[in-house]
Amino acid sequence: MVELRGLAVDYPAGSADRRGRGRVKAVAGACAVFPSGGISAIVGPSGCGKTSLVHAVAGLLAPASGEVLVDGQPVHGIRARTSVIFQDYGLLPWRTVEANAELPLVIAGLRRDERRKRVRPVLEELGLSAFRDFYPSRLSGGMKQRVAIARALAAEPDLLLMDEPFSSLDALTREAAQEFLLDIRRARPLTILVVTHSIEEAAYLAESVFVMGGRNPGSISARFDIPENRSDLRYSPGSTTRDFRAAPRYQERCAAIRAALRDAGPIDDAGASR
Amino acid sequence: MKRLGADLKKASGIAIAAAGIVAVWALASAATGKPFLPGPAESFRALWSLAVKGNLGDHAAASASRVLWALAASFAPAAALGLAAGRSRRIDAFVSPIVYILHPLPKVAFLPIILLVFGLGEASKIILVALIVFSQILVSARDSARRVPEQLMDSVRSLGASRLDLALRVVVPSALPDLLTSLRVSLGTAVAVLFLAETFATERGLGYMIVDAWARVAYPEMYAAIMALSFLGLGFFIAIDLAERMLCPWKPYRS
Repeated sequence: MVELRGLAVDYPAGSADRRGRGRVKAVAGACAVFPSGGISAIVGPSGCGKTSLVHAVAGLLAPASGEVLVDGQPVHGIRARTSVIFQDYGLLPWRTVEANAELPLVIAGLRRDERRKRVRPVLEELGLSAFRDFYPSRLSGGMKQRVAIARALAAEPDLLLMDEPFSSLDALTREAAQEFLLDIRRARPLTILVVTHSIEEAAYLAESVFVMGGRNPGSISARFDIPENRSDLRYSPGSTTRDFRAAPRYQERCAAIRAALRDAGPIDDAGASR
Repeated sequence: MKRLGADLKKASGIAIAAAGIVAVWALASAATGKPFLPGPAESFRALWSLAVKGNLGDHAAASASRVLWALAASFAPAAALGLAAGRSRRIDAFVSPIVYILHPLPKVAFLPIILLVFGLGEASKIILVALIVFSQILVSARDSARRVPEQLMDSVRSLGASRLDLALRVVVPSALPDLLTSLRVSLGTAVAVLFLAETFATERGLGYMIVDAWARVAYPEMYAAIMALSFLGLGFFIAIDLAERMLCPWKPYRS
């Protein structure tokens, strides 16, 4: 279980161009509980602090106040069993598919044969075996994302954080990737947190959807539960979750989330500073 | 196969360009008919006889070894310092002022100072060339390290990478193509400066050969030595191409 208790995150102003002083407030007073073994989603417009929140949960940013608890333990720095998949996948262009996938094991100091033993089955499961020696520049967006997933899974995580994982994929690839993620979850007991700006995606994937709004700082303003998406129901025999997109209940949930987003703060990013 | 084809294409391109230069040279020589512009045939004959009977090899080796020593002394420290400055504000605060003062200066103008401090020997020539390579690599290493996408750093950091991991597995490979490119540029300058450095206080090196032949009014020999110096530059160019292909196999190959 992951818990946010009054989480506030900020970062140095002008960190990109090395000018400016003080700190920019990204997130303030965020409270949430993401259930173990389930998929949770955070939906919000650009600039609401979603990415900063993920960075805090990943231990890449220390909270300005409040805390992040994973399995009851406060997060201080990088946690070995948390894997993060970033928006542009974060693959190293100079490493092949296999070398990228085994990177967490290289960093952990595992020997070559040990790394292979762990990475090869993951590549096989994700349909990447034939592309083992390819460099990322030769792969499509969907394939790059699979490599990012392979790298995340190679670390044998219990918590998977995904920051806009599907946003650069075309609509059909995106739906396929969502099914792919559900299959991945079926195969192992992962807690997954997906950050997205797609209401439809959140409502299709997550058993709890948290709405973020506001800007500098943003915060979590509402929570929607979608019990149909709970792992125990979705992966039970005879589950109809695959057809959930066609259900009136799904449409109704999407409409409710959309209304909550509208109430949460400005949606378009005109006039916002970057 | 694709790569071999591209290589052939590149080699034939160079051959055609060389043939063009030789043709223009032959025409100019025939048209002027002056002794200071001997034809390519005569010059190549001089090159051949210098290589076989003379000591062209020794002179070329002396020049090449000066460049290589200069490279060995400057490349790694400049790259390390530049990359560190690009990633750390504290180091940058110390390096950047030096860059701004040192880089725009014409290093050749330091020649008298270098000679006074380091004497007339080998060291001065190597230091002059090293200075040029150093400042070029320092600047491009710093700029390249700054350009490493933050998201790439974060994604590797999230895997539990240490600072050393980040430096060796992200910053260095990311900057490597830029470093090789600026090495290519600075070696061109280095060979030019080498010529100047070899025109005094030495009797070895291609620069000396050129000036010596000039003084003796041995024009075919002078052209032969100029060609040899050009080939040395071309050799370095090709060597860096090969190094880039070996060290950066992820780069899509451009012919």
